[in-house]
Amino acid sequence: MKRILALVLTLALIATLGITSAFAADDGFVDGKFTEPHKITVELFKRGDNDTSLTPYAEYIKQGMLEKYNVEVEFVIVGRWSEVDDLNNLLAAQNAADVSYTYSYATILNYAEMDAVLDLAPLVEQYKDLLPNLFTLLGEANIYWDKDPETGKLWALETKLENNARINTFIRKDWLDKLGLAMPTNKAEFEACLVAFRDNAETLLGADADKMIPYTTSDDIGWRNNNICVSFIPDAITDEELYVMGYDDRQQLLPGAKEGLRLLNKWYNDGLVWKDFALYGSGDTTEDDNLKAGFVGAFQHNYDYVFRNDKDGINYQLKENVGPDAAFVAVDCFENDAGKLRKYLGSTVDRKVFFPATNTEPLASLLYLDFISSPETILFLQTGKEGVSFERAENGAYVKLPLEATDEWYFNSPNNIDYTMTCNGLYLGEYTDVSFGYSMSGADPALLEQAYAIAMNDGRVPGHFALPAITAEADVGETLTAERKTWLNKAVTASVEEFDKVYDEGLANYLSIGGQAIIDERIEKLTAAGYTYNK
Amino acid sequence: MSQVKQPSLSREIRTGKTNWKNYMQRYGTLYLLLILPIIFFALFRYTPMAYILMAFKKNNIIKPPWLVDWAKNNGFEWFIKAFNDKLFIRALGNTIKLNLLDLVCGFPMPIIMALLLNELAFKRFKKFTQTVLYLPHFLSWIIVSSLALRLLADNDGLINILYKRMSGNPEAVIPFLSEENWWVGSYIFLGIWKEAGWGTIIYLAALTSISPELYEAAAVDGAGRFRRIWHVTLPGLRPTIVVLLIMRLGSILGSEFDRPLALSNSLVSNVSTVISIYVYQKGIKGGQFSLSTAVGLFQNFVGVLFLFGANKLAKHFGERGIV
Amino acid sequence: MIKSKSTKAGDIIIMIICLFLIFICLVPLLNVLARSLSSTQYLIRNEVLLWPKGWNLDAYATVLGKEKYVHSLWYTALLTIGCTLLSLFMTVICAYPLTYDNLKGGKVLNVLIIFTMYFSAGTIPHYLLLNNLGMLETVWCLVLPGCLSVYNMIIMRSSFFGIPMSLREAAEIDGAGPIRTLVRIYLPLSKPVLATLALFYAVGRWNGFSDALLYLKKRDDLYPIQLYLYNILQNSTSGEVAAQEGFSTPGLSETLKMATVMFATVPILIVYPWLQRYFVAGVTIGAVKG
Repeated sequence: MKRILALVLTLALIATLGITSAFAADDGFVDGKFTEPHKITVELFKRGDNDTSLTPYAEYIKQGMLEKYNVEVEFVIVGRWSEVDDLNNLLAAQNAADVSYTYSYATILNYAEMDAVLDLAPLVEQYKDLLPNLFTLLGEANIYWDKDPETGKLWALETKLENNARINTFIRKDWLDKLGLAMPTNKAEFEACLVAFRDNAETLLGADADKMIPYTTSDDIGWRNNNICVSFIPDAITDEELYVMGYDDRQQLLPGAKEGLRLLNKWYNDGLVWKDFALYGSGDTTEDDNLKAGFVGAFQHNYDYVFRNDKDGINYQLKENVGPDAAFVAVDCFENDAGKLRKYLGSTVDRKVFFPATNTEPLASLLYLDFISSPETILFLQTGKEGVSFERAENGAYVKLPLEATDEWYFNSPNNIDYTMTCNGLYLGEYTDVSFGYSMSGADPALLEQAYAIAMNDGRVPGHFALPAITAEADVGETLTAERKTWLNKAVTASVEEFDKVYDEGLANYLSIGGQAIIDERIEKLTAAGYTYNK
Repeated sequence: MSQVKQPSLSREIRTGKTNWKNYMQRYGTLYLLLILPIIFFALFRYTPMAYILMAFKKNNIIKPPWLVDWAKNNGFEWFIKAFNDKLFIRALGNTIKLNLLDLVCGFPMPIIMALLLNELAFKRFKKFTQTVLYLPHFLSWIIVSSLALRLLADNDGLINILYKRMSGNPEAVIPFLSEENWWVGSYIFLGIWKEAGWGTIIYLAALTSISPELYEAAAVDGAGRFRRIWHVTLPGLRPTIVVLLIMRLGSILGSEFDRPLALSNSLVSNVSTVISIYVYQKGIKGGQFSLSTAVGLFQNFVGVLFLFGANKLAKHFGERGIV
Repeated sequence: MIKSKSTKAGDIIIMIICLFLIFICLVPLLNVLARSLSSTQYLIRNEVLLWPKGWNLDAYATVLGKEKYVHSLWYTALLTIGCTLLSLFMTVICAYPLTYDNLKGGKVLNVLIIFTMYFSAGTIPHYLLLNNLGMLETVWCLVLPGCLSVYNMIIMRSSFFGIPMSLREAAEIDGAGPIRTLVRIYLPLSKPVLATLALFYAVGRWNGFSDALLYLKKRDDLYPIQLYLYNILQNSTSGEVAAQEGFSTPGLSETLKMATVMFATVPILIVYPWLQRYFVAGVTIGAVKG
C-alpha cells in the first residue's frame, strides 16, 4: 500500500513538473531573456552606397540584442530616396520588416485599413513592465499619441523628437555693422534694415550691387516666413482653434496669417524680396548659392540652417567667399499682439514605428524598441568611437570629429537617426546640453547655442488632442500642399492692389479641394469629444 | 513600299483549306522563333497585368486583387471618384492640351530636321551636326530645368537681363516660366529642343532605304530641291512616319512625369499639373493604389481607342498599319 | 547629283539653320561641361558660362577615384553590351515572323503584343513577380524584364516590310526556309535599323536605373553607374529630406550634378561614330535588283 502511494505521489510530482515545464517552455521567456533564439527583422535606411547593415553600429545592435534577449536581428534595407515605393513593395510581398517606420501617419492608417498593421495597444499594455527604457524615452504621451479613443486601436508609436525648435530669423551682422545699424528688436526695425540693405547695395556689394537681395525666401512661403506669419496670429488663440485650423502645419489657415502675407507682399513690391523665389523648386541650389555668395541680407529658415553641412555650410562659406566677419546671426524681432516674440514649436513627435501584420514576434520586436531606446545604446550610436568619431572636452562634452564618408564610423544620417529609430536629437544624458554646441562640426558653438535659445524663446507647443482619425485627411496631403504653395506664392507676387483678390481666390480654392472638409470634420470630432470650439 | 501580296500556297487557293503538313513545313520554324518572345510577354507582361483588376477592387496591396472585395458601385468607385474630383478633371484637361501641342509642334520637328540634315552637302559637317543634335537627349530634365531657369527666369535669367538692358526699363520682363500661357510655350519648346535631335535617328535610318536612283531620276526631270523632297524623300519616309504617328497617338493621354515635375513651379501649377503628377500626389503619396490603377487604365483605354482609330485611318489611305 | 545654281542659295540657308541648331544644342552642353569642372566659389556666383573657372576635378575624382565606382563603370559597360545584344536578338526573332501575313495566329499575337505596350498595372505587381521568380538582388532583374521593347519591335518589323517581297519569294523558290531568308537576306539589308535599335537599347540600359533602384538593395556590386551617381546626388541635394531631418551631407552637389551628365553622354559619344558607318544609303537597295 505504501509503495503504491509513493508511486502515485512520484507520478503526480513528475506530472506536475512536466505540466509546469511545458508551460514554461511555451512562454520561452525566462529572466528577461528568450530561452531559444528568436529572429526579427528591422528596417534600416540606405542613403549612399555603403551597406548600412555592416557598420560597427549595426554590429553593436545585433550583438546587444543577442546578448541581452537572445534575439537575432536582421536588417531589411530600404532606400531613403525610394522609401515610399520600397515600403509598398515590401508590404505587398509580405516581406516588410517586423519593426518598420515611416514619416507619415496617414500612410500607416492606410495600411491599417488593408489589415496590414498590428494593433499595438494590447501588446504595449501586456508587456509594459518589460519596456522601461521605451517608456522613459518616449513617455506615455508619445506612446499613446495615436491611440484612437473610439476603437482603442494603436497602430503606431510616435518616436521622440528631442529638439523641437523650428524656425529662426537670420540677418547679416557684418552688413548691420557696416551701415551702423543695431540688431532689430521689432518688425519695423527689421523692415528698416531691409530697406537700408536695398538702398546701400553699392556700399555693401560694390560691383555686385545689382545682385543685392535684401530678403530671400523659397517657394514654401509658409515654412520660410513662419516667424512673420505667427507674429500676426492673436496670442490668445486657443489650442482648440490651433487644432481645427492646424492641418496645414504652416499655420496659414489661422486668423491673422493673411496679414503676414500682406506684409510680405508689400516687401515684394518694394523690391525687398528675391524676385524669382517662386520659380525655384526644393531641390534647386540657387537660393543657397546666393546665401553662400553673400548677396543676401536676411532670411528665415530651420533654426540651425546656417550651421549645417560643415564646410559646405552657409556661415562657413560666407567666411570663405566674403570675409572673416561675414556671418548670419539669429535675431528675435517679430512681436505679436501681446508683445511676445512668439514661435510655434513642433510637437515632440518624429517618426512613427509600426509592426506589419506579418510580424510573428511582437514581444521580441518590442524588446528591440526598448533596447534601441536605452541611454547606453543611444549614447554609443550617437557618439561612436572615442578618438575616431568623437573626443571629450574638459567639461565632459562630446565633441564630434570630422570623418570621411568612407570611414566605417561615419554617420550616414544626422545624429545617426537611421539607427536610433526611437530618438531624433541628442540624447547623451547629463552631457546633452553642453554637447549641443559641438554637435555640428564647422559651426561656432556659441552662435549655435544662441540660435537655439532664440528659436525656443516664447515658444508654444500646440496642444495634442486624442481624437479618432480624420477621414478627410486620408489622401489629400500632397495635393493640399501643392495648392497651398500656388495660393500663397501667387498672392505674394501679386501687385498690392490685387493682393486681396488673389489671396481670397486661392484660399477659396484650397478650401474647396479638401481644406474645408478637414476643418469641418475636426470641429465635429473635437466637439463630440467634449471640447468647446467657438468661432 | 511594295504592295505585292504574299506568295500563297496554290492548293490553298483551290480548296480553301490549309494543308497543315505543307504549312508547317514551310512556316514551322517561324513558330520556333516566336517561342522566346511569347514566353517573355506571357511572363513579364501578362502575369503582372492581372493586377489591373485592382482598379475595380477595394484599395489593398497586401492581397492579390482577386482575393480582395469589389469596390463600391459595381467596382467603378474609383473611376467615379476620379471624375468627380475637380483636380483630376483639371489634370486631364492639362494633359490633353499639352499632348496635343506636343503632337502638332513636336512630331513634325524630327522629320523636318532629318530632311534638313539629308540636304547637307558636306558629309563631315552632317555627321558633326547629327551628333551635336543628339546631345540634349542625354540631359536629365532636372538639369534642363536648372539650365532653363538660368536662361529664362524673370529677373535673374540671361534673356530677361538682356531684355531689360535693351528696353531700358528695369521692370520689363518676359514671363517665360511664371505666366501660364508663356509657360506652356516654354514647356513645348524645351521638349522639342531636348528630343527632336534624337528623334531624327530613326528617320535618317529610314532615309537610307530610299533608292538614290529615284533622286537621280527626279533631278534629270528637272525637279528642284523642294520638289525632290516632296516627291521622293517624303514618300520614302511615309511608312515610318505613319507607324510612329500611330504609336504616338496610342499615348495621347499618357503623360510624362519627369518633364512636368522638373519644369513646373508653384505659379503655374494650374496648367502644369498633368495626370502623372495627380497620380503621384494622390495615388502614390496618398496611398491610393486602386485609384491610380483606375486612372492608368482609363488613360490606356482611351489611348488604345485612338491607336486603333489611327490604324484604321492609315489603312484607309493605303498604308500598312501596325495592327 | 546634278546641282543647279538656285540650290546653292538653298545650301547656304540650310547651313545657317544647321549652325543655329548646333548653337542651341551645343552651348548648353558646354555650359554643363564647364560647370562640372569649375570651383564652387564661381558656381555660387553664377559666373560660369562656357569656360570653367577655377579648375576643379573633384566631381570626376570622386567617381573615378573610388574603386567601387570604376568597377561599376566597367560592369555597366558589360551589362549594356550584353543587354543590347540580347535585346537585338529578341527583337529580330519577334519581328520577323510577324512579317508573314499568312502566319496563322499572327494577327492575334500582334494585337496581344501591342496591348502590352499600353496596359500595365504599375510597379508593385512587377516587383512581386520578380520576387516570386527569385530574381531580386541578381543581375537578371536588370536584364530580362526589359529585353524586348514592343516599340522597337514595331520599328524593326516596319523596316522589314520595306524590303521588297520579291526577295523573299525568290529565296523561297530557291528552297530557303524562313530562318535562312532572315539571315541571308533580311539582316544584311537591315543594318541601319539594327544600328538604330542597338543605339536605343544601349542608351536605355546605360542611363536607366529606376529598376535597379527598386530591385537591388544589398548588391551594390550590381548597381549601374547611374544609380551610384543618383544616390550621391540625392544625398547632397534633397531639399525635402534636409528639411525633415535637419541635414544633408556636404557635397559637390553642383559640380557632381553636371558631371553625371558627362558620364551619361561621353560613352555614347564614343560609341556612336562607330555605329554611324551602318547608316549608309543606297549600297543595300541598289545592289539588289528585283
